[in-house]
Amino acid sequence: MSFIEVNGVSKVFRVSSRTAGIPGMLANLIHPKYEKKQAVNDITFSIEEGEMVGFIGPNGAGKSTTIKMLSGILYPDAGSVRVNGYIPYKQRKSYVGSIGVVFGQKSQLQWDLPVMDSFELLKAIYRVPEDVYQKNLKRFTDMLDMTGFLNQPVRQLSLGQRMRADIVAALLHSPRIVFFDEPTIGVDVVGKETIRNFLCELNEKDGVTMLFTTHDMQDIEKTCKRLIIIDQGAKVYDGLLSDIRSAYGTTRQLDVEFNGDCTVAPIDHVEIRELDAPGGRKKRFVFESKEVQIDALMSSLLAEYSIRDLTVSEPEIEGLIRKIYSGEVAK
Amino acid sequence: MTKFASYLAFAKKSFLGRSAYRFDHFMGILNTILRIFIFWEIYRALYGGQSEVDGITLTMVATNFVLSMGLDAVFFVNDYYLTDRIQSGSIATELLLPVSFHGRMLAENLGHALFQLIFHFVPAVAVCVFFIGMEAPAGIPMLLLFVLSALFGYGVLWTISFAVQMLSFWLINVWSIITIKNVFINVLSGSMIPLWFMPDWMRGVLRFTPFSSIYFTPVQIYLGQLSLSEILRSFLIQSFWIALLFSIGMFLWKKGQKKLVVQGG
Repeated sequence: MSFIEVNGVSKVFRVSSRTAGIPGMLANLIHPKYEKKQAVNDITFSIEEGEMVGFIGPNGAGKSTTIKMLSGILYPDAGSVRVNGYIPYKQRKSYVGSIGVVFGQKSQLQWDLPVMDSFELLKAIYRVPEDVYQKNLKRFTDMLDMTGFLNQPVRQLSLGQRMRADIVAALLHSPRIVFFDEPTIGVDVVGKETIRNFLCELNEKDGVTMLFTTHDMQDIEKTCKRLIIIDQGAKVYDGLLSDIRSAYGTTRQLDVEFNGDCTVAPIDHVEIRELDAPGGRKKRFVFESKEVQIDALMSSLLAEYSIRDLTVSEPEIEGLIRKIYSGEVAK
Repeated sequence: MTKFASYLAFAKKSFLGRSAYRFDHFMGILNTILRIFIFWEIYRALYGGQSEVDGITLTMVATNFVLSMGLDAVFFVNDYYLTDRIQSGSIATELLLPVSFHGRMLAENLGHALFQLIFHFVPAVAVCVFFIGMEAPAGIPMLLLFVLSALFGYGVLWTISFAVQMLSFWLINVWSIITIKNVFINVLSGSMIPLWFMPDWMRGVLRFTPFSSIYFTPVQIYLGQLSLSEILRSFLIQSFWIALLFSIGMFLWKKGQKKLVVQGG
């Protein structure tokens, strides 16, 4: 029995569909039409205690809906969810005390009150013992560099500050499991880095189990070993990040800088891209590693042309994931 | 006992939050005083100098208005508590807290109500008693029973709103239904027209509705119009309505949660 078990979960939303304009409005008034939208379609996965898993997919793939079912907010239409022995949506009140959830797009802080007041309120609601509260508060606020704005009203915070405050708010009661739904959305580069480091430390030192969604592949690369990719409500990949590279990342690229402008004759199975103007000095050779031997390609280039510099690079994870989304690679 | 600490935190937040809107608060007190004065003046004109009509004195009428409209100010229920949260999508973050939704709603409403009792009811009633006057309670025991009955009355009012609000899950916008509900309460609970003056058949019908349990029952107890057995029965009736309406509300809540759609994100 795994720590988090998601078994054949589906969720359908009924969305109102009407044509635009006054005729559409009138038609809708008399005979409303609804469409069924399959937000999540038969998803199954399990996560062990202490794992840190990235949960990604394009907009509308069903990530947030899955997170909401995991956190007890939404009922699945079919299938079952079990987290740490609880059925979230059935035992919501006792369950949510043991988890933390951060919605990047929705703040759970009190808009008009200083950050500290929201923290105090959460402390009372979760009945966090004073010493634990003080310890967590000090540790988290130091790590996230928040001491400067703890007494400012939430409405006056920048997005990055608010996000950090929201993260701390979700962790004050020392949850064993934390779900993050886009915790770095709208945050600048430095802020993102701070948040990532914080999450990694929490996972490594405290063994907190984490599942998070993001659209920033760097978040994934820097934090998660394991990745679950969903698209159109269905799971398309579940495995190690490094396996994605070996399974799908068979494309290699060779960037070459020649000594002087030149044109290269077409080579079988190799796509030649001009990085400068056509016929210029810098070119990129893109090919599949199973079709073209990289040493053969290099030696033939070196034999025929005068070359100043060579760089071989693996494809970026972002490009691979784009390929998975667009269905270029077999699912 | 510690279980209540969470809810107490919500009540406290709600209580303290009221003090932020001072102008609104003073206008609210003025509003209550004006309403009581206007209704009292109307009935004074209707009495046309007679000391009593159907055995009901003008002072009893004044007592009805001061108490029921005073309680109306105390009996705070946010009719749009659930609707607002469904419309804004904040229901998602609120369901993450380890408290029951109805418990939290009641705690916040009670925090607000306590504020109203101290800072709205007391000054408004003091002003009205000074200028209009009202009957003294029919003895200390009756005064205590009045307080208890008023608490139950609030329970009835709250559970009506609770049950009606649950329709938000299906309708998203419940403004029209809430408005109709409030018209029923205003007209049929005796706060505008004392139920003494309703025709007999109407009072017969009203006996089968929860509305008279809200304000009119406590007022009758205050005035000593009910015998002990009648008082006991009134408590049973109030408890019945609270239990029934709360069950309906919880049933709809359970159904509604299953079809909850979180807006945005």
